[in-house]
Amino acid sequence: MKLTTKFTLWYFGIMLVVLLIGGAIVYYEIQWKISRVEVVRHERLNDLIAQQIRQGGDFTGHPTRKRALVIPIPADSMPSEGTSYYTRGLAWNPEFQTNEFKLLVTSYYTIHGQHYRVTTYSFIPSFYQLLPGVVDSFKWILLLLLVLVVVSGGLISKYILAPFKRTMRAIQSFDLKQKETLRLPGTQTSEFRELNEFLVKMTEKAREDYQSLKEFTENASHELQTPTAIIRGKLDLLMESDIRDEQAILIAEMQNALERLSRIHSSLTLLTKLENKEYQAKEPVCISNLARETLASFDELIQMKSLVLETQIEKAVYIPLHLSLADLLLTNLISNAIRHNVPPPAAGGAGRRAAPGGGGDNAALANGGSGAAGNKGLIRVNLSKEGLVIVNTGREPSIPTQELFERFKKGNSGSDSIGIGLAIVRQICDLSQFDILYQYSGGLHVLAVSFLPKTGASKLLQNLSFPLQLDGSGAISDRRVRS
Amino acid sequence: MKVLIIEDNQELARNIRDFLGREGYICESCDTIEGAREKLALFQYDCILLDIGLPDGNGVSLLNFIRAEHKDCNVLIISARNALDDKIIGLEKGADDYITKPFHLAELHARIRAVYRRKNLGGASIVAFNEFSLNTDTFEARVGEVLLDTTPKEFDLLLYFIVNKNRVLSRQAIAAHLWGDYTDNLANFDFVYQHVKNLRRKIGMAGGMDYISTVYGLGYKFNSHLGG
Repeated sequence: MKLTTKFTLWYFGIMLVVLLIGGAIVYYEIQWKISRVEVVRHERLNDLIAQQIRQGGDFTGHPTRKRALVIPIPADSMPSEGTSYYTRGLAWNPEFQTNEFKLLVTSYYTIHGQHYRVTTYSFIPSFYQLLPGVVDSFKWILLLLLVLVVVSGGLISKYILAPFKRTMRAIQSFDLKQKETLRLPGTQTSEFRELNEFLVKMTEKAREDYQSLKEFTENASHELQTPTAIIRGKLDLLMESDIRDEQAILIAEMQNALERLSRIHSSLTLLTKLENKEYQAKEPVCISNLARETLASFDELIQMKSLVLETQIEKAVYIPLHLSLADLLLTNLISNAIRHNVPPPAAGGAGRRAAPGGGGDNAALANGGSGAAGNKGLIRVNLSKEGLVIVNTGREPSIPTQELFERFKKGNSGSDSIGIGLAIVRQICDLSQFDILYQYSGGLHVLAVSFLPKTGASKLLQNLSFPLQLDGSGAISDRRVRS
Repeated sequence: MKVLIIEDNQELARNIRDFLGREGYICESCDTIEGAREKLALFQYDCILLDIGLPDGNGVSLLNFIRAEHKDCNVLIISARNALDDKIIGLEKGADDYITKPFHLAELHARIRAVYRRKNLGGASIVAFNEFSLNTDTFEARVGEVLLDTTPKEFDLLLYFIVNKNRVLSRQAIAAHLWGDYTDNLANFDFVYQHVKNLRRKIGMAGGMDYISTVYGLGYKFNSHLGG
């Protein structure tokens, strides 16, 4: 609920209570005032009658006596204090032939030693007759107030909350990476001023922390990469000196370990950078062209491994991703699909061998490293506006596919990779809110990335024009397995 | 070629000096921005290797000075930070190329040559060695008059060999050169082996001599003096 609406509702509630109490007050006030005015009038009338009695003479037909009763009373009937009182109540009005509110004012006088009781009366409007009028007028007041509160509430809140809204806008456009401190518009309202001061302080702190974290990452990178570079250089130089074969092997092993070290390090640095959201997309990138370029750059590797490449790349697919990240995503996925590609096993028992290092379950899958019985490895790349699907033949992973997204998890413990490529891929996807899915079924690894927000990657697999499983003979099945 | 190495790490500077010295380059090194300014004010260099992280400031600040005083020299930035910002700023401010630590010295050499070719040889983009001539614009490699039917990677590889002739090139260095930094494919040296094998076969078919030899355990070498 909006703040303005809340305020308006509360005001309306308070108004309702105030008006109800006010209505009651007004009602009783009018009622009392009318009685009071009538009583004063009648007291004056009684005084007039007393004056007439004092003057003497016959006033029986006089208009003053129309609704008056003058009774001489004995002295002991005189009230001890007060000379007049009034009573009121419903009584029969013979003039209108109806019961009406009757006000009786009785005054006591002592004239020429004789005590008189003078009573005059009149019919006044019934209080019950006033009630609808009071209610009616308050109804109109309430309506008017309501309209005013709603209209002014909208206008005033717009005016009063303007600094707040400006602050909100400034905060929304705030970016940790920006170099300037957050600038918030000035305001006269002390609460907003406090809020702004707090926000400026907080964002400044966050910005500083971010900057120092970034510097730390870069410094760590710098400090570690330099010694690595020195070792590598020394090894390069050592290689060219006069060395024996055993020494050459030692150097080669050092080179390998160094390669891994530097690769792990740069990957971890990259992951940190991704987590820090340092690569924001400035403009959408055409992933169609990028995919074609990436495939072209891997063309020779694909041919070397005698893989069959099938592509379906929709033209001009733009996705909101930093160019470097899009490149990294495609490179990692495609190189994975090439590197871990193993041709499907040939049909028939003769060609079957137990897959080494893969555990007992996949004994039925042949290693196929040499392309048993002429079967070729396969890569399918399907790119559409909805997402990217990469399918490749390969050995069954020894751990659940989803776990392969974790750092340093590898499907085959024997492989030379460091197992961080997919972690990077997932980090990129998480960052861009792309859903990613990895499944393995029937000899095929399927990796799907959905570009549409809030759309599961599994949806992509439903609209593919090719099957996601191999048939029994190891060839690509014609029937569609998933529908 | 005269090279100035602006690098605060003495060991790394010495590596580069040793390696480039064997190519017959004249190398001088200094480890601060101040020192670099002095040297640049006094001497002319063909190529400057500039480390970004120097003790007395960011090496990028030197770029303006270099560009104002030495229009023709090539500047190659060396940095451990592969932060995109540094890279872009460096190239915008007039650096010619960018290489991140840890690099192979052969790779650094190849980059220096490439930058030098682009800038100093004024369009003559032919790299020649004995019977080989490689056109780096058209990616055509010839042995004598015969056109070699090389793939882009094989062309790249041959160029890398010729630039770094008589040096042992490790498989890691070759893989890093051919596939760049981020691919995990480096682990797969089969590809390097395949490429080298194919290249040697193609050179042989075109009538070229087999300059490339396998160095036991380490990698490959392009020998300019056959049988020597």
